[in-house]
Amino acid sequence: MNRRRVAYLAGAGLLLAFAAFSLTSFRSALTPYVSYAEAREQSRTVQVAGGLAKASSRYDEATSSLLFTLVDPGTQQTLRVRYHGVKPANFEDAISIVAIGSYDRAADEFAAGKLLVKCPSKYQGAEVKTYS
Amino acid sequence: MSYLSTLYLPGAVALWCALAFAVTAIWGYARALGGDPAALRFGRNAYRFFALAIALVTAILFLCLYLRDYRIEYVYQYSGNDLSTFFQLAAFWAGQKGSFLIWLFFGAMLGLPLVRAAGRDEAPVMTVFLFTQLGLLLILVRENPFIMLPQTPLDGAGMNPLLQDYWMTIHPPVMFIGYAATAIPFAFAMAALWRRDYGNWAARAFPWALFAFLVLGAAILLGGYWAYKTLGWGGYWGWDPVENASLIPWLLTTVLIHGLYLERARGRFRRATVVLSSLAYLSVLYGTFLTRSGVLADFSVHSFVDLGISGWLIALMLFFLGGSAWLVATRIREIPSAPSEDPLLSRGTFVVLGTITLLASALVVTLGTSAPILTRFLENPGQVGPAFYNRVNLPLALLTAFLVALVPFLTWRGAASWGELLGKARWGLVAAAAVAVLAAILGVHDPFHLLLVLFASAAVATNLTAVIGLARRGGLKSAGGYLAHVGVGVILLGFLASSAYDESVKVTLERGRPTAVGDLTLTFQRFVPRTATQKERMEVEVVRPGGSRYLAYPSLFVNDRSRQLMAHPDIRSFAFHDLYLSPLEYDPGERGGRLLLAKDQSATRGGIEVRFLGFDLEAGGHGTTPAASGPMSVGAVLEITRDGRSERLTPIYRFSPGGEVEFPPVAIPGGGRVALAGIDAESGAVELLFEGLPDLPGSPAKLALDVTRKPLIQLVWGGLYLIFFGGALAAWQRYRQALRHDATAAGTR
Repeated sequence: MNRRRVAYLAGAGLLLAFAAFSLTSFRSALTPYVSYAEAREQSRTVQVAGGLAKASSRYDEATSSLLFTLVDPGTQQTLRVRYHGVKPANFEDAISIVAIGSYDRAADEFAAGKLLVKCPSKYQGAEVKTYS
Repeated sequence: MSYLSTLYLPGAVALWCALAFAVTAIWGYARALGGDPAALRFGRNAYRFFALAIALVTAILFLCLYLRDYRIEYVYQYSGNDLSTFFQLAAFWAGQKGSFLIWLFFGAMLGLPLVRAAGRDEAPVMTVFLFTQLGLLLILVRENPFIMLPQTPLDGAGMNPLLQDYWMTIHPPVMFIGYAATAIPFAFAMAALWRRDYGNWAARAFPWALFAFLVLGAAILLGGYWAYKTLGWGGYWGWDPVENASLIPWLLTTVLIHGLYLERARGRFRRATVVLSSLAYLSVLYGTFLTRSGVLADFSVHSFVDLGISGWLIALMLFFLGGSAWLVATRIREIPSAPSEDPLLSRGTFVVLGTITLLASALVVTLGTSAPILTRFLENPGQVGPAFYNRVNLPLALLTAFLVALVPFLTWRGAASWGELLGKARWGLVAAAAVAVLAAILGVHDPFHLLLVLFASAAVATNLTAVIGLARRGGLKSAGGYLAHVGVGVILLGFLASSAYDESVKVTLERGRPTAVGDLTLTFQRFVPRTATQKERMEVEVVRPGGSRYLAYPSLFVNDRSRQLMAHPDIRSFAFHDLYLSPLEYDPGERGGRLLLAKDQSATRGGIEVRFLGFDLEAGGHGTTPAASGPMSVGAVLEITRDGRSERLTPIYRFSPGGEVEFPPVAIPGGGRVALAGIDAESGAVELLFEGLPDLPGSPAKLALDVTRKPLIQLVWGGLYLIFFGGALAAWQRYRQALRHDATAAGTR
């Protein structure tokens, strides 16, 4: 085999390795939408959605985190969420909140690393922001 | 009511005229393609009328916004009386319809110089280009921006407060210029395939591809800067689908310009550039589909609305995908490619490897962004977060930096051995090794990060040497590529430092109490009420190690119209880092000095007795007539008794129609101050605020802050500027070459 052949084979091997690496990363990074009950059962990163329970949000100074309760509009089930980070600009008016994170069994609450906040239709069409 | 009567006719008619001219122009150019020379001029004139009509439509919508004509639904939905003229006009692209229109407008305008630049290929290029315009035009005719409301509202619904920022208002139009520009290399490539003339298109398309690359890059910079400066979450890039939808076309355009470079210099890569031109344009359409159709509604913070145009966008994508795939499939084998191959250690091979790397990056970002669609049919559809993108792009960034570092020493003919190549690069490598050692001392321990520091610094050093070398020989004008590659090294260093090595602490500051945060001392001094030009701000004194101090003003306020709580960070740049103070929460505190009194009621606070006698409407000298446009004020007459001695005091409460409120404290004889902090209009009670009295109960005001140190973030902006200037230099060079190419082509004809 000449050098060029070897180089081509090495290149193809690298590409295949990268493709495999991307796909495994993709599968492990995928955060599926689950119900509150499913979220409580597993420890992997998932996302849950719901409305904000009225007057349930408060800022906890001791742990520098935002605490609130999500309500599933269909089943009326609730889920307590703790989020470490900046309170989103339109949080109180949100028609729907998506929390991405994992269930913390010890604290019996959902620890969110990221929130997606959807505002009422009046402000749709406008681009809002990423909170991570 | 008929459909016609619901439309604002001047705008709608101009839009229909544009459609008619576009169809006429396509017809004319198609006839010219069939060999009718007279039809060429006909098509060209029809195109000019089309561009004129689109300019007119755009002007009419701008005028309606300027005149605040709320009869028009679009004007009503996205603007309002509270906006300045600047933001009122910027409401043009606050919604989807206006965004499509501004995209179409820039496309139509870019087509005017394209008519000349296309030269002999005018007919096929303009035919393809017109089809790309027609797609947008059909969406607009269907989703007409000139629909009128049955009644005329007095005020609009207002603009999203987050968009009321100067960076954010320039970002979308720049992005749409970039989107419009990607259609031009695509049109050149498809025209070349159509005419089976593969030798000329690359020279003509090259400056346009560079133009698209520049504009898309500038738009991404503006968007990132906006996110960093106004949003307060501390980052400039969040891998959100909307951001990715602008990144993927930029990456593919970068791949395309490298392919065109190879084709122009070596006659290689000729088949690939045709495919890359289509991929870049198709990625714009795909990104538009992802972000405008509502398919990602549950997965992005950017609120997407389904306008009901998903079907149209899918049809548009399939049309251009099918059309370009058919042209490529039937003709690709005819495209001559240079039979000889480049040696392994040569510039040609390295540029090919670089393009493959960038292509891989574009593909994994597309994969990640498409996750919600790909997993749609699973039981629980999902998405991937920033961790995925960072993880898969790290090896690609390493490889990119490595290749970019060695390219200046490679010739087309190639180096004999690695030893020879590394020998040429030795000084750059020594400098890079020194930077990597410094980074390791400063706390970078992850081996991949250290490798990235090494490669990226080497890229900066070697390309900078190449720029200086060219400049000495008077060839600075051809140093665009090297200059941009210096920027690539700089930006990779900036990405790594600012995202992997930022330090963030959340603290709660009590008013007046200095608090140590790392090596800083922060003191929350006071709450600064709203003024005519500034929103509510918090004054925080920051003392840095060494004793230098400054006052930071992070802002936290409620938007009047939407009632959204808005946070604006305070950012201070130092030589090696930014200090980023983002407000999380403000607690005004339980003020024991606060007292609510009805008329003739009295209470005791801090050793004094207070009785509220009644209002004095003349106090403050302004009067309370609601018609007055200046500030109005009300005074509360108080009887204050201390140690058996009584005094009358009249603190005032002043407010202006602009919402500004003031309640200056009045000194109490014997010490302390009292202010009229509020009036309960229903009960007629007043709220008094005491300060400086002994034994006042309560808790102090508190401010929760996110304090972040962003090391070397300046390198991100600096690197982008270098890429931009380098690209602009290259674009100018390639533009002149394209002119020369056309001159020689005309001479040999």
